[in-house]
Amino acid sequence: MIEIIKRNKLLAVVSLTYIFLFIAMPDKAYLSVKNSIYYIIEMLEIMPVIFILTSIIEAWVPKEVIINGFGEKAGIKGSIFSFLLGSFSAGPIYAAFPICRMLLKKGASIVNVVIILSAWAVIKIPMLANEAKFLGLRFMGIRWILTVISILIISYIVAVFVKKEDIPIQKENNLSKIIGINIKKQYCIGCGLCEKLMPQYFKVVDKKAKWKEAALNDIQINKLKGIMDKCPVKAIDFRREEIICKNSNRNIKCN
Amino acid sequence: MDIFTVSLWGVTGVAFIASLVENKEKTFDSMKIARGMMINMIGEIIGILFLIGLILTFIPPEVIKDILGKSNLFISTFISAFVGSITLIPAFVAFPLVGSFVDAGASTVPAVAFLTTLTMVGIVTFPLEKHEFGLKFAVIRNVLSFVFAIIIALTMGVIM
Repeated sequence: MIEIIKRNKLLAVVSLTYIFLFIAMPDKAYLSVKNSIYYIIEMLEIMPVIFILTSIIEAWVPKEVIINGFGEKAGIKGSIFSFLLGSFSAGPIYAAFPICRMLLKKGASIVNVVIILSAWAVIKIPMLANEAKFLGLRFMGIRWILTVISILIISYIVAVFVKKEDIPIQKENNLSKIIGINIKKQYCIGCGLCEKLMPQYFKVVDKKAKWKEAALNDIQINKLKGIMDKCPVKAIDFRREEIICKNSNRNIKCN
Repeated sequence: MDIFTVSLWGVTGVAFIASLVENKEKTFDSMKIARGMMINMIGEIIGILFLIGLILTFIPPEVIKDILGKSNLFISTFISAFVGSITLIPAFVAFPLVGSFVDAGASTVPAVAFLTTLTMVGIVTFPLEKHEFGLKFAVIRNVLSFVFAIIIALTMGVIM
């Protein structure tokens, strides 16, 4: 019970307010419900379709093809790819951090990384639909155009000031032995896909996936690679032997 | 349902069937993600929607109009941009919230500033960004995003 309240602080506060109102000022409470109804109905109409559309896009847009197309490629083509990658991905801006780091290692430019991050944050096809519904098509359209222009300008300015040497990138040692699974908690959105696909290894506890400590052999490691690719925010990674742990960052524990 | 929503359902329905025909397993996996995302957010969504009712009841439209419509546009835009930078609600639930303010008579300029900084500027996620990309990158990107959010908002005020 306490857990549920903790996870839904906003809902708990709002519910308490309503309970209080229904006792103290019933007329105000009714008015509040009446005021909310319009937005609740609108939301119910559009919410399922947005989530479904987001997931279908996520499943079918060939992100790997886009990512592999980056390389040293610069110029307009790279920027267009960046816009596409950002626009067709699900999740909040920080979900883009791991992918952008990977792209930097692969040779993507600072300009393109900033474009991906920004487009990821503001330009989402399903979100544009939501915006158009509640604020109007014209509002959405104009804001979209202005945002795209701004993102381009921002990315070029960032690239003037920040050089690649300013970005901390550690070398990864792919040869060391895999000893387990590491889940980057900050990125996990708790969608539960890993648990549904491999319940013997993963469990979602308190909205975050957890790795059930278990022994690994080669076959299982291969299976787990598939799960890693399916993870929508790429939060699952192999935990490797000591060497990596020392290099790896402060936030991600290596216990 | 308005035409817009109906057509969105139509497009999604077609995409869903195409996806199902192409690869059943992949489609079901993606539906599992959709369900997980919805379950994760439903508490917050319901909370925000009922909060809108409370706001509209206790803050009369005239007050919203006065503060976010008629008062100094630069100050209200700047404050909205700042609030957007530190707020942690998903953009998804922000649209009905902002929509309710605009319906009540708030100017669209602060509304745009809030929506843009909400998604592009992340003070809460700043430590994470700094850790991944370095201090310089994180500071410059966030500051520029904040400045451009205000530029976008003011430009929209001129166009609309």
